[in-house]
Amino acid sequence: MEYSAIFWWTALWLIFWGVVGSIFTRRVYLRKDLDTSNSILVGAMVGAAFGPIGLVPMWIKTPEISRKLILIPGFVALGIIMLAFALADPENNCVSNGSFVASQITNGLIIGIIYGLMALGLTLIFSILGIVSFSHGEFYMIGGMIVYYSTVVWFPGLHPVIGVLIACLLTFLLGAIFERLFLTPLYDGRIDRPVEYGILITFGLAFTLQYFVQAIGGSNPVKAKRFFDFPRIRLPDKEDPWLIKTSRGNMELFDTVSISNPRFVASVISILVLLGLLYFLYRTWTGKALRAVSQDRDAATIAGINPHHMNMLAFALGGMIAALSGATLVQAFSWLPQVGMIPAMRSFVIVVLGGLGSLPGAFIGGIIIGLVEAAGTGCVPDPQKASSYIPAYGMIVLTLMLLLRPTGLLGRRFASGTHGKL
Amino acid sequence: MGKIKINIPRILITILVIFVSIQAYAANCPIKIGGLAPLSAPGSVTGGEAMREAMLLAERDINAKGGVLGCDIDVVITDTEGLPEKAAAMMQKLITQDGVVAVGGGYHSSVGVASKDVANSRGIPVVFAETWNDTITGDMQKYIFRIAPLSSWASGVIWKFAAQAPGVKSVVIVTENTDYGIPAAEECAKGLSSKGISSVTFGVDIGTQDFAGIVERVKAERPDYTIVLLTGEAGYNYTQQAADAGIGPQDIMFHANQAGLESKAWWENVPDGNLAFMARIGVPETMYNESALKLAADYKANTGKDGIESYALEAYDSIGVIAQAINEAGSTDGDAIVTALENISHDGVLGRIYFPYGSKKSPSEDGKGSEWWHQWPDPAITMVQYQKEGEPSNTMTIVYPEVYKTGDPIYVD
Repeated sequence: MEYSAIFWWTALWLIFWGVVGSIFTRRVYLRKDLDTSNSILVGAMVGAAFGPIGLVPMWIKTPEISRKLILIPGFVALGIIMLAFALADPENNCVSNGSFVASQITNGLIIGIIYGLMALGLTLIFSILGIVSFSHGEFYMIGGMIVYYSTVVWFPGLHPVIGVLIACLLTFLLGAIFERLFLTPLYDGRIDRPVEYGILITFGLAFTLQYFVQAIGGSNPVKAKRFFDFPRIRLPDKEDPWLIKTSRGNMELFDTVSISNPRFVASVISILVLLGLLYFLYRTWTGKALRAVSQDRDAATIAGINPHHMNMLAFALGGMIAALSGATLVQAFSWLPQVGMIPAMRSFVIVVLGGLGSLPGAFIGGIIIGLVEAAGTGCVPDPQKASSYIPAYGMIVLTLMLLLRPTGLLGRRFASGTHGKL
Repeated sequence: MGKIKINIPRILITILVIFVSIQAYAANCPIKIGGLAPLSAPGSVTGGEAMREAMLLAERDINAKGGVLGCDIDVVITDTEGLPEKAAAMMQKLITQDGVVAVGGGYHSSVGVASKDVANSRGIPVVFAETWNDTITGDMQKYIFRIAPLSSWASGVIWKFAAQAPGVKSVVIVTENTDYGIPAAEECAKGLSSKGISSVTFGVDIGTQDFAGIVERVKAERPDYTIVLLTGEAGYNYTQQAADAGIGPQDIMFHANQAGLESKAWWENVPDGNLAFMARIGVPETMYNESALKLAADYKANTGKDGIESYALEAYDSIGVIAQAINEAGSTDGDAIVTALENISHDGVLGRIYFPYGSKKSPSEDGKGSEWWHQWPDPAITMVQYQKEGEPSNTMTIVYPEVYKTGDPIYVD
């Protein structure tokens, strides 16, 4: 970084006024007997963005805290730090290389969509059953393994999309059977400590699945073939394809953004599944019933919804969604029985960031983590550190979120599910 | 019919003698030798599986020849997962619970670095097979030996080959943040710099899957040559993702890591991996000695692979060297085995193995660094290249050095 002092002094200024704002805004709102639920976040954002010029008028007027009051200073603070970075390191690729920035953003969005889909399954289970499934990563692994074995080993030549469907079906059944056999004690009063039981039993399932696959298939890395090859496209003309240029495994847009085939296919499938899932949750009776149980279990029961059936459906569906993420990525990454550990950890981060139990929060959280990781990897000046700290970028965002808004982006203060009802 | 006189005291004494003999035999036989291998992620499972197979073949061959000190040997293989903390714990377990008298194998350098102190403090000799980090022998510990090449030496072959490739002005090194990757990357960067070639190093954690951001950043560097020092499936993931982005082995000159020598896994995981260069330990198959040829045949029959990987050869020899040392020591005492190892001349599959430097002669007497302590000085290192899509590793073209060369390298523009 050429002029690092510019960046670090700006960052220090933002942090100082952010801390001042977060501490005193809450006190001011409390003294005036106003709603303080988002006062820490607003104070931090206004302080970081405008310093004392923004904070003092806010403390005098104490306006009602709205989304606009959070987002506008938030984006201003982000803009200030980006400007400081640009001034401090004008030669950085993130400042001087437009195509690099576009590629990083595209890659961040694509992987963020896939992360978001996986986290969606985890939050669905949490919002209905009230447990964190520690076997989520293993469902992800199983999904990829089923696609690999069904298309390469058992039925060579079988189209991968059929393999994905088989993976969905088998993991849905696995989730449903597991829920019936092992999770029913959570809600029929047979055990004293249901939350701990939920954690331990899903841990058990995780180990069982991982070592079962290792025993059956070994530990060597495997990989499925690309689901589809890109057709050869050169637009607007063959000599100067500035708009789009494709090879079998890569697509280049506007001569700048390159997207690899496996990621593109995985993200398209993820988006389609997401749309289907949204339709299911918001337009069908069963989906509405699921959401009703996640919002208020007792009220849903009074309305004639059997919450036990919804528990089974949620666990099976959540596991299936994780498996689907794995099924689409087995063509992009080498696959091992332990492959689910890192995505599972990332899903936990995303779910907490997005707000425990919030379906849209999980998806938005996924995209944020994808973009932050891409920005960190691309912009941190020291290449050695930039690539070494990939897992840390998401954790920094999560830590900030927990400090400023402990319920996460779109989380509710009190989740429903089986919390407090057992 | 005469009456049989039963002498009960004599029978009891006979039973007691037999029982004591069996106990004594059971206490000493079989002689247990430990074997370290990464058999689960994030370790290089491909390498670990190959080493396990080779160590079991060593056990079979040694027992077929009468074993050691009149006993069979039992190679107790343990999974290090490529993690230092697991390696130290597994070394402790091998020594205290399994009762091994010596240890062979070892793939990841971080495993060697972490576990050597445990073995040394307990007086158990170790012959590391594939751990390159210089400090493993550089600490000059009494019980630690190595038949793998030194990292500084192996890295030298990698950067020298890159430096002599046509038109190379800038190199990107993608390495893992381990005791193998960091020093190897530093050696490469230093060597390239001495030839006036600039380099940028990217470090990632072992087991990284998604390289999209790093690949874009590497692309922005516009390198003429890429050196990948990632073990296990991380090496596969990076190479294929780089190929998808147009900076793979078919787009720029590209050194992939040793995991690529397992050709079945390589072509399945890196379908666009043709033209990648790799470093291979040991002489080419055409120059194998009789025992190496036999081992290669047995290994291929057992695994269904096309050839035997260099780390499998090293793992086999690490057990063979230990077995011979125990025989020559005439005991399983750690000090006696060390003395035997320091004087050994073992005709292994890699060639004649010996350790010229140790307690009798310090490396400094010949002006060498401490890393040559208990270090086999002769492992051959070649650069090989896949030149046909789907080709098995045993037919890879040897492109460097001149003495072993079987064909010219194909350099991509």
